Amino acid sequence: MTHLPYILAAYGLTLGVATVLSVNAAVRLRRARRRLSAIEQPRTRQPS
Amino acid sequence: MNATQSLTARTGNLFHRYANPGRFLRMGAKLQPWLTWPALVLSAAGIVWGLFFSPADWQQGDSVRIMYVHVPTAWLASSGYMGLAVCSLLSLVWRHPLADLAAVEIGPVGAAITAVCLATGSLWGKPMWGTWWVWDARLTSVLVLFFLYLGHIALIRAFDEPQRGYRAAAILGLAGAVDLPIIKFSVQWWNTLHQPDSITVTGAPTMSTSMLWPLGLTTLGFTLGFGAIVLARLRASVMESRIRTILAASRGRQSASPAPQPDSAAV
Amino acid sequence: MTRKSRRLWLVVACMIGLGSAAALTLNAFSSNIVFFMAPSQVHAKPPPADRTIRLGGMVVAGSVRREKVKDSPVNLFDVTDGQAAVTVRYEGILPDLFREGQSVVAVGTVSPDGTFRASEVLAKHDETYMPKEVAEELRRSGKWDPRFGKAPDAASWNTMTASDTKKPATPTPDGN
Repeated sequence: MTHLPYILAAYGLTLGVATVLSVNAAVRLRRARRRLSAIEQPRTRQPS
Repeated sequence: MNATQSLTARTGNLFHRYANPGRFLRMGAKLQPWLTWPALVLSAAGIVWGLFFSPADWQQGDSVRIMYVHVPTAWLASSGYMGLAVCSLLSLVWRHPLADLAAVEIGPVGAAITAVCLATGSLWGKPMWGTWWVWDARLTSVLVLFFLYLGHIALIRAFDEPQRGYRAAAILGLAGAVDLPIIKFSVQWWNTLHQPDSITVTGAPTMSTSMLWPLGLTTLGFTLGFGAIVLARLRASVMESRIRTILAASRGRQSASPAPQPDSAAV
Repeated sequence: MTRKSRRLWLVVACMIGLGSAAALTLNAFSSNIVFFMAPSQVHAKPPPADRTIRLGGMVVAGSVRREKVKDSPVNLFDVTDGQAAVTVRYEGILPDLFREGQSVVAVGTVSPDGTFRASEVLAKHDETYMPKEVAEELRRSGKWDPRFGKAPDAASWNTMTASDTKKPATPTPDGN
């Protein structure tokens, strides 16, 4: 391939940023879901 | 005036139906896989096609392959900001709570995508034009868009009282939307070093179909991916605010009755 | 409800005001936003010799001359916009995309004898994206000479692309 370093840099950067954004979002969502279910369950049992 | 009043009221009701956090979380959980998996499949297919199976350009050689990541990020930089502007409008006019949270989450994702757009463009410009950067209208207006994103990120988090930050950032978000038509038409209004659009609404594309296919795949894939990431962040954000409300409420109850309750101790 | 529609109209009015302000500003500074001047503009109103300008246009076919002055390559070529042509003199290595018929932007000054002394030459890419084989095929069949003007409409060679890419039965993962 011609201009290989430039192509690799462009694709590497794009995939890198995409991975960071996705992993960050996934981790944040999982943590929030766990904490919420841990807090919510005792409360929903309370009124019954 | 009467008609517009009922119109604003009706649209307001329509939006507020989705303002209920519980309903949003249920809908978001259903929608998420429909965004995430097609995004991954389409992006992977488009990237592999673009890198290995699409032809080299007769002038640019293989560096044309940078286009398959540059063009989708450029499209997302603009349409992401369009989303931000719509959230700003919903926030300013209808005081929609979910629009504020969405604006908080779109900002960083859009800024990252715009940075990738600028960087990949630079990586193409160096071997092709012979320079990393020029101050032509297209490049400068996209750089302005990047700074608008950064300003929005900073402003929406700048106040102790979140509502004031939402309001200020929404004004910035709407005002910045002026940059979007400038980006779009910069290559037509002024002569720029950046080439005009190859794909237009009215005319036939000036690009070989063997290159249009991978470009279409990555564009669609990246767009769904952007949606998936923003949705995941927004769901997390709604859950976090719910957690804060519950904790604040239970703290309130605890301080009201000093005797520790068995249930809250279990938490 | 009246508050909401009042806010909506306020926002609309502000956007109209801001939009027209931006449009007027851009219109006023239009000549500064333009990235380069065309040769006919340089002919009509030659800039002062000490002012650096950018000159944009197409490299005239057959006008490129390369000389050697004290070991450094000197390139001379004519740049045209179809109405006028300006001779450009540039010492240094030209970018990859430079060729006859290509659009270029040269940065430099107009010397008293009318030639343009460039300190930098940038290649301007056009919006045509075409596989190498198709370009060669078009040139061989005489349908298009890249030295004279833009490539024909993509619709006229897209069928050719499809048949060309299908010809090697196994997709070759780019040997070059």
